[in-house]
Amino acid sequence: MQVWTKLFAKSPFKPLIKHAEVVIQTVETLEKAIDYWEAGDYETARKYAIEVDQLEDIADRIKEEIRDSLSSKLFMPVNRGDILIYLHMQDKVADAAEDTAKWLLVMEPNTVSGEIKTTLKEMAEESIRVAKLVYKAIVQMDTVIESGFSEREIENEYKLIKEIESVENKIDELDTKLMRLVFQNAKEMNWGVGIYILNIARTLSNISDKAKDAAERIRLMMNK
Amino acid sequence: MITVDPWLLITIIVGMFMAWTIGANDAANSMSTAVGAGAITAKQAVIIAGILEFTGAYLFGKSVTETVRKGIIDPSKITDPNVLIYGSVAALLAASLWLLLATKYGLPVSTTHSIIGGIAGYGIVYAGVSIVNWSKMTQVVLSWILSPIFGAIVAFLVFKAISRSIFQRRNPIKSAKFWAPVWIGMAFIVIGTMFYLKVLHGKSLLHGVTVYGTVIGFMAFLTSFFIIRKRIFAASSDPYLGVEAIFRRVQVLTSGYVALSHGANDVANAIGPVAAVYAVASMGIAGMQVPVPRWILAMGGLGIAIGVATYGYRVMETVGKRITELTNTRGFSIDFSAATVVLVASSLGMPISTTHTVVGAVVGVGLARGVKAINKDILKDIVISWFVTVPVAAVISGIIFKILMFVG
Repeated sequence: MQVWTKLFAKSPFKPLIKHAEVVIQTVETLEKAIDYWEAGDYETARKYAIEVDQLEDIADRIKEEIRDSLSSKLFMPVNRGDILIYLHMQDKVADAAEDTAKWLLVMEPNTVSGEIKTTLKEMAEESIRVAKLVYKAIVQMDTVIESGFSEREIENEYKLIKEIESVENKIDELDTKLMRLVFQNAKEMNWGVGIYILNIARTLSNISDKAKDAAERIRLMMNK
Repeated sequence: MITVDPWLLITIIVGMFMAWTIGANDAANSMSTAVGAGAITAKQAVIIAGILEFTGAYLFGKSVTETVRKGIIDPSKITDPNVLIYGSVAALLAASLWLLLATKYGLPVSTTHSIIGGIAGYGIVYAGVSIVNWSKMTQVVLSWILSPIFGAIVAFLVFKAISRSIFQRRNPIKSAKFWAPVWIGMAFIVIGTMFYLKVLHGKSLLHGVTVYGTVIGFMAFLTSFFIIRKRIFAASSDPYLGVEAIFRRVQVLTSGYVALSHGANDVANAIGPVAAVYAVASMGIAGMQVPVPRWILAMGGLGIAIGVATYGYRVMETVGKRITELTNTRGFSIDFSAATVVLVASSLGMPISTTHTVVGAVVGVGLARGVKAINKDILKDIVISWFVTVPVAAVISGIIFKILMFVG
């Protein structure tokens, strides 16, 4: 064993990026499930929902591996605690996608209005955007370190963080809109369908919520 | 030398063995960052290190050496010339064995401290602790602390400077094409000055820097500037990758710079005791300082080169495959800082350790937020191994010395 190989430990950023890739896949698969659900093809929707569950498992496993490798004995350019919390939040994005998939499968509603469905669909699309932004943000964090914390790269990172926050805002608005829609259409739905829709909306907006928390951590990483 | 003294022959063989372990452990460690960063292959490293370690040792190695390295013990207390011979053999053997052991466990211990421990060991066995020049010993202990600190400070500043002057600019590649040759030029200012002081035996440092250093440095700057300017480095996608590509070329040079400074600084550890025995064998006495014949320097250089080629090769090959996290600008910062600190310090007569300086430089770049993950545990192991080097080498040397006195 040579000391130099032991002295330089593996960078945690490559596995973090890998984890972010799986998170994107999870959210993308969820969107497909919602697509088929919207079209009333519950069979195919179910298939994709199961896939979401499997992808979330993979994300979990990568998360465990990263946690095990991030011992307190590492000397890193960013705070270890920030990395761990970031990872936790990034993983919660996949968790939220899984929760949404679970709720989707609870029933096969036939009385949901078109407007509610399109709003949900819109929220799913925005969620993909936010997951992709989180991926970009962690890749950019790696670049920030590569560049020796150059001002310009830090600036680019802030732009990404702000974008994530604005998408989160938009999803929040969609969530509020959906809540109103559910109560406006209360007469055409039974209470069960109402709870069902509201929970899908809640879990969907959770995706961007956690993405925002992850972005917040990146901001702290840069400040150290 | 009337007939070939058998003890002189034995000392030369043991000295070669010591040089071999220096090449196997130390030289390989010094070049590892360049191999790890993918600047050179293990094979190229062996060739560069072989040639430049030899050149450094032969040209820049001390032409006059203290009878006992760094005057760590008082040679006037040694009245029997045989003691000096047995002692030198014991010290060399002890230092080599300790280095070999450290190599096996992959610890970068200092060759300088190993030989100092060895010399102190036989001195104490022969004449008690009063023979040790404790103020010199304090200097050596101080260098445990100072070499890594100097390495760290310089590497921190070099990396910060690279980050400011290249990474932070609007066009990092364009900036790198100007600044990389500047760094090369600076390395050659140091090399040029050393050439004046050591090869031409110049006396005035100022003259050396202004005439030889500046001229050679400026020529190196111009040459590398025009070579780098013409090439295109992945401008489109990632400017930082382009900068790394430029520094990959530059690192080929700085890894040679490291080898040169290491050869110059560390060859004395192997050939100092040999020169002392040679003086006893050829003149019958030994004063505080003895001349070092060129051929002994050459043998030391050769020993180091063989060590690099036979064992160091394997070390560097494993390292090259394992450190993938070290990029070229970081590797460059470590190499440039360590080599400069070692060359400057050793020309000022400070007892500095190449290995400690390199490890310090790694930490310096880490403190500048340049390295993604450094293992603090290993750092602790390294520091502990530094503290045991002198005592362990001393004990082994003392035992060997006792046996030799008994047998002889």
